[in-house]
Amino acid sequence: METNKQKDLVMPPRSEIGVIHWLRKNLFNTPFDSVVTICVVMFLLWIVPAIVSWMFIDAVGFGGDEALCRSARGACWPFMREKARLILFGTYPYDQQWRAALASLIVIGLVGTFILKRLKVVWMILLWVVGGALFVGLMLGSVMGLSTVQTVQWNGLPVFLLLAVFSLAAAFPLGIILALARFQNQHLLIRSLATGYIELIRGIPLLTVLFMGLFVLPMIMPQGFYLEPLFAILIALLMFHAAYIAEDIRGGLQILSKGQFEAADSLGLNYRYKVVLVVLPQALKKALPAIFNTLIGAYKDTSLVVIVGIHDMLSTAKMAYSDPGWQKYGLEAYVFVGIWYFASCWCLSAYGRHLERKKTY
Amino acid sequence: MRFLANREKRSFLIQLVLAVILIAISFIIVQNVRDNLAAVGIRIDFGFLSGEAGFDVNESLIAYSASDSYARVLLVGLLNTLQLSIVCIVAATLIGVVMGIIRAGNNWLGTRLALAYVELLRNLPKLLILLAVFIIMVNRLPVVRKAWNLFDGIYISNRAFYFPTLIWTDRMSFVLVALFIWLVAAIFWTRHVHYHQDLSGKRLPVGWPMIGSLLAMLLLVSGLFNISYHFSTPILKGFDFVGGGRLSVQFVALAITLSIYHGGQITELVRGGIQSVSKSQLEAADALGLRSGQITRLVVLPQALRMIIPPLGNQYLNLIKNTSIALAIGYSDLVSVMSTSINQTFRPIELMSITMMTYLAISLVVTALLNWFNARTKIVGN
Repeated sequence: METNKQKDLVMPPRSEIGVIHWLRKNLFNTPFDSVVTICVVMFLLWIVPAIVSWMFIDAVGFGGDEALCRSARGACWPFMREKARLILFGTYPYDQQWRAALASLIVIGLVGTFILKRLKVVWMILLWVVGGALFVGLMLGSVMGLSTVQTVQWNGLPVFLLLAVFSLAAAFPLGIILALARFQNQHLLIRSLATGYIELIRGIPLLTVLFMGLFVLPMIMPQGFYLEPLFAILIALLMFHAAYIAEDIRGGLQILSKGQFEAADSLGLNYRYKVVLVVLPQALKKALPAIFNTLIGAYKDTSLVVIVGIHDMLSTAKMAYSDPGWQKYGLEAYVFVGIWYFASCWCLSAYGRHLERKKTY
Repeated sequence: MRFLANREKRSFLIQLVLAVILIAISFIIVQNVRDNLAAVGIRIDFGFLSGEAGFDVNESLIAYSASDSYARVLLVGLLNTLQLSIVCIVAATLIGVVMGIIRAGNNWLGTRLALAYVELLRNLPKLLILLAVFIIMVNRLPVVRKAWNLFDGIYISNRAFYFPTLIWTDRMSFVLVALFIWLVAAIFWTRHVHYHQDLSGKRLPVGWPMIGSLLAMLLLVSGLFNISYHFSTPILKGFDFVGGGRLSVQFVALAITLSIYHGGQITELVRGGIQSVSKSQLEAADALGLRSGQITRLVVLPQALRMIIPPLGNQYLNLIKNTSIALAIGYSDLVSVMSTSINQTFRPIELMSITMMTYLAISLVVTALLNWFNARTKIVGN
């Protein structure tokens, strides 16, 4: 009986099972697929050995020194060990660098609390103001017995975090106001001003806006008023990002159904309540993917400040490999900075995806 | 107070107050600018544009020397920006479309590689990539005297890429005229083919008549007007190459960076577009007996295109604006030239307004082109 059954059992054809089938289905299904597979394999055969030999085989490990590096063909990891502090904090006085580290941690902590804790708007603003004051106090010193460090000596990570995080944090409310101003058609003057501003900013490169901050902003200040370049750039960044955030939020406002506005009106809510309780929560939710795209882009674009002479991490990386004896290791310096960017951007986008999935607050 | 109860009047009042505030602020700003400029002893004046620029650029499409005017050097910068933008737009689109198709496909290896590519570029700033690419090129490519010879007459060094160029003679304008005529004829022929296919269902050949007629036309015109083609090849003389064309290593680094950076973003757009095509369309195409290549080309891409084009236009605009990072490695684009000019003349207001107006004009032109293209590819609905 048993043997009979097995006899009747017909196995699937050889081409439908096993490795061969998997390969045919997943790698050589169509002629185009075959071409792609061959190209990818060739590319991997070229790039993977090149990277592996640069990073490991030909490289000098963290324990090595500069003399060993000179004869090696691969990466020079002792460079990172030697220069990590320079890349992170630059020319900030060496014995005071704990202040720069603490200030960076404060900013990261601010972002962390924003992500993890839902606070009331008032508390949030208060927290950010206090955090910002602490940051400046720690970095600048001359309070609580700390020695003074001029802003020109602020370098690397804290400068980058200051510009990226505070400009975006301030750009967000400004973006909401701009989006609301452009979205209504009751006050035509306000609308056309907002539209003009947004379109102007979106039409020009970030770099020209940074130049505006550096050159033109001090000019429109009253005479004798000195604006630190760092803060001029901060203002320029926030004005730039606000326009993009405003457009994202306006996108969310536009796909909101008209019934929501009418319902809020018929409940007798005034404009403020209508916006705060009904319109904005939904519009922000709808705009979330776009906003996170903009946030990540803006965060990465903060690195452009190095071009106008602000010393963020790309600038300190350059300092690190301009040092005599270490000049060949520019790539190592950029790998170091790249790891920071990759990790932080990845966290940001993971948080964005998490929020989208959650959909409720 | 009853005056404020009326919505329109209240709105008018709010805007009036705002207008007054804005006028006051701009008045203060103008006053401040005038005071600040007076303190340094200059006035807003565009006359400096005709003055001698006195600095050199590393690459120019038109004749330029350091003794030319500021207006001319700005034009050189603008042309460099446009050249870079066009090269990058074409390359990024090609990369994006190919990678997008792979990313949306079923190839196990391909989808993973495309995902890795997109994720890597999504999480790294373009300036970092640019600096890394530039430093690899400068450190790893040979010096000019030991330049790699690729094929015949193409040399690669860490200063520039050298390649042969066609020596232009006046008679060659006949070739250009012939090419134009061929192009017009080709457009009419493809239209006729579509028309004929709509009427009869039969498809006339397109590929070989076009290539054949192009070759025949070129041979005929060259023979008729006795045009011979000579190339100027780069030759190493002393410390640099003479003859031929050259692309600075800065240009190449920028082109690579911006193409792969925006290529990654276009990949995601293309993937989204392709995946938005409903599955029944694929099944229907399969049922009609179309081959996989035909399904992609005739069914999927035309429908995906409608989804892709509006965000793609935004990408192009971003790309054009992003060419300004050229300043970081010293390629003479518009912003870079502007920055040097500001440092020399200290006329930031004039130079910045010229640059910003130029970028705005470019944005407007590109937007208009995209709207036109968008309207053309829309579904003709009833």
